[in-house]
Amino acid sequence: MTSTTIPEPYESVLHSDDPLRPADIECSSKEVCLFLTEYAERLLGSGATCMRIEKNINRMAATFGKKVEITIMPRHVHMTVWHPGIDDIYTYITSVKAAPISFSLNTKLSSLSWTVADHNLSLHEAERRFHKIINSDYENPWFTLLLASLANACFCGIFGGDLIAMIIVFVATAAGFNLKQVLLSRHVDARVVFFICAFVSAVIGATDYVFPVSSTPAIAVGTSVLYLVPGIPFLNSFNDLLYKHYICSYCRLMDAIVLTGCLSIGLCLAMKLMNVSLF
Amino acid sequence: MIILDILKDAIFAAIAAIGFGAISRIPRRAYLWCGLIAAIGHSIRFILMQPLAGSMNIIVATGIAALVIGTLAVFVAPLARTPAEAYLFPSLLPMIPGIYAYKSFGGAMMCILGNTQDRFDYYFYQFSQNGFICVSIIMAMVVGATLPIFIFKSRAFRATR
Repeated sequence: MTSTTIPEPYESVLHSDDPLRPADIECSSKEVCLFLTEYAERLLGSGATCMRIEKNINRMAATFGKKVEITIMPRHVHMTVWHPGIDDIYTYITSVKAAPISFSLNTKLSSLSWTVADHNLSLHEAERRFHKIINSDYENPWFTLLLASLANACFCGIFGGDLIAMIIVFVATAAGFNLKQVLLSRHVDARVVFFICAFVSAVIGATDYVFPVSSTPAIAVGTSVLYLVPGIPFLNSFNDLLYKHYICSYCRLMDAIVLTGCLSIGLCLAMKLMNVSLF
Repeated sequence: MIILDILKDAIFAAIAAIGFGAISRIPRRAYLWCGLIAAIGHSIRFILMQPLAGSMNIIVATGIAALVIGTLAVFVAPLARTPAEAYLFPSLLPMIPGIYAYKSFGGAMMCILGNTQDRFDYYFYQFSQNGFICVSIIMAMVVGATLPIFIFKSRAFRATR
């Protein structure tokens, strides 16, 4: 962490051609930088694209009368905030904590940036609302489990699986997804979680080969692990690529490839165990 | 019969999108829109890939369906004050080429185990062919879905206002 703050009397910027309102200079660059860095870190953790993070940060910084430069890295956010016209500059680097993807949080934080800009909220009010939002981001895990299992069973239907195969995929997904929730809540490494869950789901999905009850066993086993495919990192990666955030794009792509690799290894081992051929 | 197939595909895609929306925690008010966008997008891809529509290549069909999904997401986003991505990604997810992705990795793994040139060539072909199709489909999806956000940028980023 590097910080350089040279306080100056705020009255010095209140000359006649300064476009800043007095309210804009109530907070220092340090305060704004610390808030915006935490905001950016949460937004990045929630699965937002780099473009959205930049736009939201610039919108709020302008409201607080500051200029901002931000570097978004996969594991860090690096931000410099300064007050035009005076020597009040602050740089801060923070680590991005592992967090589940949450478009609900993304939505609320994006909405907060507009509220700050449209209603000219003070920094302290913005911080209060920010902490209220991040502390209220909760979803019932059983509800998510049910919908995820249904979704994967429908995936099986999309690929041509019959009703029995869909039921098998539903059970395989429910078991694997529940295991994923439990392991992630115990802070087990995501790569290990993907491997174990893919293995468990594929073994259950392959039961159709052991006790042939449906006419589409290959589709059942093939789709039983699809709920683990890291689609959002894949899509965010290409989105960042289009906006020229090449490093972030590459790292998100690598994350997605590594997770896909882990689930593929779990799947292959399960198929080997159940004596099912992949090709 | 084809209409029933399209309907079945649309319903499955809608439920899959809502389920994946729940995994990625989209706001509950977005569930219905998300399902609807996915149903329309996936049905378009399904129709384009039918013999009646010329059995379009999966990569081109996915790109066109993604373009429709992206456009719908941009215009629906302000209605529920939710970012377009919240609809976009779960709606695109039923088209993620997961089977190609893990067949590609499976091929790579089997290359390691393949002890003859014929077996190695076969599994390397599986690895490269599935990997290439997988990457191409994802590219088509993202370019197709992102273009409307580029074109209607101000609308897309003001959705949560």
